Amino acid sequence: MYNMLTIAQRTIIQLSRDRRTLALIIIVPLVISSLIGVSLPSKEILNQTLPAILAMLVLFFGFLLSGIAFLRERSQGTRERLMASPVSRTDILVGYLLGFLIFAVAQTMILFFYAVYVLQASFNGSLWQIILFQILIGILAVCLGIFISAFAKNEFQMVQFIPLIIVPQVFVCGLLFPVSTMPEYLQWLAKFLPLTYAVDGIRAMMLQGEGLLDIGKEIGVLAAYAIGLMILAGISLRRGNAT
Amino acid sequence: MDNAISMEGLRFNYGRLRVIDGVSLEIPRGISFGLLGSNGAGKTTLIRLMVGLLKPSGGSVLCLGKAPAPASARNIGYMPQLPSLYTELTVRQNIDFFARIYGMKDRRKRFERVDEIINLVELLPKRNVTVNQLSGGMKQRVSMACAIVHKPPLLFLDEPTVGLDPELRAAFWEYFGNLTRTGTTLIISSHTMDDAAHCEQLVFMREGKIIAKGAPAELREATGKPDASLEDAFLFFIRRREANNNV
Repeated sequence: MYNMLTIAQRTIIQLSRDRRTLALIIIVPLVISSLIGVSLPSKEILNQTLPAILAMLVLFFGFLLSGIAFLRERSQGTRERLMASPVSRTDILVGYLLGFLIFAVAQTMILFFYAVYVLQASFNGSLWQIILFQILIGILAVCLGIFISAFAKNEFQMVQFIPLIIVPQVFVCGLLFPVSTMPEYLQWLAKFLPLTYAVDGIRAMMLQGEGLLDIGKEIGVLAAYAIGLMILAGISLRRGNAT
Repeated sequence: MDNAISMEGLRFNYGRLRVIDGVSLEIPRGISFGLLGSNGAGKTTLIRLMVGLLKPSGGSVLCLGKAPAPASARNIGYMPQLPSLYTELTVRQNIDFFARIYGMKDRRKRFERVDEIINLVELLPKRNVTVNQLSGGMKQRVSMACAIVHKPPLLFLDEPTVGLDPELRAAFWEYFGNLTRTGTTLIISSHTMDDAAHCEQLVFMREGKIIAKGAPAELREATGKPDASLEDAFLFFIRRREANNNV
């Protein structure tokens, strides 16, 4: 636990020191939210579309932030140094998860409150339950970013994973068109994509006013994805693989 | 007493390429031991196998009588070839982080030790400066401080003097000498013969194999020339091996 917290604390200090990244973490979601808010023709469409967009943005930014930051640990050689130390793989992964999560949650909160208070989007359901669900999406995003970073050798390659990992999910998850109107094979594919469950869950909460207990399936699938990705990330961190 | 390092028939393949080819070696405790060879000889790979960052393709290695990391991780220090530091953190924060992950939980004692090490590597005026503002030589000093902050009995230094000016290189060797006097075992890789001359025991490496082993004076004497340098000795053993391979 001590090592996990040490790594989490170091990650937080490190990201906080990088002022440009910190500014981008705050400004970019606001710019994108504003564009979405201004471009949608009516308040009704904004209210209908916003929950899915929030889920997508939380996944996207969390993935990008954690993936690139974790990759830097390897490219600057500090991961090798960590692997030569007594810290376990669990210490490293959970430490990073906790550290990144602070920023992912901060981004989530900014996006959500900006949408509600500045863009005047309305929502049903309990505010804190919606936030908890978004944090779960943030955890999934961090796990996905850490796992995928194992396959990238540099930041450029990491960014190339966005069209492969995130963009297809955006098209197939039901954000743009209902999944039920898609060809059968895409409906089948949608069942395996975490963003589908994130979008279904947040829509159920924000549009239908359902609570966390009503979306047990979505929570279960997202949690299973997060745990599975952490286990896979742990396997990729084996000491024999430290290069 | 166990050796610091015992390895037997150690092999490591990178794809189809054999990088370490059946190395057997015993390194006693409390000495400075040099791994000498040109670039690509397998020095860094051998260090990474000893540390536990790579798994051998064959053979075995023991580090202070135990398997390499994680089993022996708490008792070893590792300074990689690149500075490998958190560039957004200050000198103090970097060293403190490594002190913490090596189990120095007592805050007061840890801070004392961190300050002692910063003083030792002569970076006291820079202790609150972020690493990305330091020169290459200063980064090397911080990197060494991170490797020794927990007082490990066994220290691996991968090309620690690369890019250092002669003054700083001399200071590093003076400090390494102090460490071995207190019982620390140093395993140092280098491709410069200046570094080799400072080591108590050496191996010359070539294409993943050990081609000669001994004290610097013994290796020089083996050439049969009274005024031979270590560079002459290195070339002598390379030519002898090539001649044996051609027979």
